Amino acid sequence: MERLIFDAAALVAIVFAGLMVAGRDPIKSVLALAVSFFALAVTYVLLLAPFIAALQIIVYAGAILVLFLFLIMLLNVGPERPDGVRRPVQTFLGSLSVVVFAGLLLGMLRASGARLPGQPEAVAADALPDPKALGRLLFSDYLLHFEAVSVLLLAALVGAFVLARRENAQ
Amino acid sequence: MTLVDGAIVVLRVVVPALILPALVIPLVWVERRVAAFIQDRPGPNRVGPFGLLQSPADIIKLFTKEDVVPAATDKFLFLLAPSLAVFAALSTFAVVPYGPTIRVAGKVIPMVGADVSVGLLYVFAITSLSVYAIVLAGWSSNDKFSLLGGIRSSAQIISYELAMTTAAAGVVLAAGSFRLTDIVAMQEGTFRLLPVVPRWNFFPQVIGFIVFFVSAFAETNRLPFDLPEAEAELVAGYHTEYSAMRFGSYFLAEYINVIVASAMTATLYFGGWSLPGFHPEGWLGGLLGLLIFAAKTAFFVLVFIWVRWTLPRFRYDQLMRLGWKTLLPLSLANLLWVALLAIWRTSR
Repeated sequence: MERLIFDAAALVAIVFAGLMVAGRDPIKSVLALAVSFFALAVTYVLLLAPFIAALQIIVYAGAILVLFLFLIMLLNVGPERPDGVRRPVQTFLGSLSVVVFAGLLLGMLRASGARLPGQPEAVAADALPDPKALGRLLFSDYLLHFEAVSVLLLAALVGAFVLARRENAQ
Repeated sequence: MTLVDGAIVVLRVVVPALILPALVIPLVWVERRVAAFIQDRPGPNRVGPFGLLQSPADIIKLFTKEDVVPAATDKFLFLLAPSLAVFAALSTFAVVPYGPTIRVAGKVIPMVGADVSVGLLYVFAITSLSVYAIVLAGWSSNDKFSLLGGIRSSAQIISYELAMTTAAAGVVLAAGSFRLTDIVAMQEGTFRLLPVVPRWNFFPQVIGFIVFFVSAFAETNRLPFDLPEAEAELVAGYHTEYSAMRFGSYFLAEYINVIVASAMTATLYFGGWSLPGFHPEGWLGGLLGLLIFAAKTAFFVLVFIWVRWTLPRFRYDQLMRLGWKTLLPLSLANLLWVALLAIWRTSR
């Protein structure tokens, strides 16, 4: 049963990620991405990581994508139209990277063995990995990484602020 | 799992999901009667005794009216958006404990839909999805008033979500858990230093409570923060183009959201179903716990109504300024304060 839900959710995630790339209407693309994130959260739950699943929804679907929607609606971006120009170089490079990526993916699956980790049925609800343990790990073993990321985010924030100010001054 | 266990799970999960929408019927009547009382007029009092049948009559009207879908809309999203609103409103309640864990005939029954370890995060995850219902309605209607309402809503909900989550982080810090039953459990009894005061989060975290409750108004789009549908400027905002029960679904979602926000306030800051000196035993204890929880929730629902008919609507820049420059710093200060309290408690 779990396997079935997992496969269905994974399939939905992949199909809607594809729709996001292929769609011509930016709003529809954002929504396809939201569905994809939701399906991804379902797979996280089945991989016994409900904390990551909740964060996936709160941060990506609930905040970042809503900001995307806000901007697209504010600027009133319409569907893009094909301009009729052929781009042979881009087409070639694109197809090449698809082949390389597929090869990498296959190699990784071969190496690790494509199967579901864990034993979803046997684990009781209480034995699930606890947000507390994750927090402790984040603030002990991975403290340096955590702080580095926060500095990086701060730098990005300041950078965005400076760029926006310069625009205003002109 | 025996048949009885299965039946218990169904009762725990399905009954609240059915009762919540049913509660909206009397709630609309209460809102209109309280509004009338505040404005010194009789209110709906013609249909049935005390006007009690007014809401059922309105529902029959909503269901039997023509469902108009304007020509230039994005049909799929236009039809999807209202159901998304009701879905988000209903599924939030799944993790809220509405009563104690009771033992009846040798069976342990926790009175909560699903007691998950990331309970509070789940609530925020689902409420953050409710913005899609409004934004999509605004965009798919292909109408400038709807679009403006949708844009406002997305900016407003993101801004207030930040303050709300940070305020609630104080509760998580105090309880050391995201699980809502743990949060209720740590609020049982009274303070050790002041044995007459219940150990509710409200007392040490009164600032957090104020931020949380004010943000709840913005998250539920209630006055004074109902700018996505501000009728004075935007006709009816994001639901201008909706009619019949699709329009009604937005009302349903709004009132369910009010109930859930009140229930969350009662759970996070006022001890949920617990009272000092109340030790639930058997099914009677469960019933009493449920009644206590209902009474606390009803109180906050009344405050929601009271505020709506007392305060005027904010201007949009005022709304943004309040969210970012007042509520967010306050919630951060509250978090620091709770962290200090936690250090003090562990160092003793």
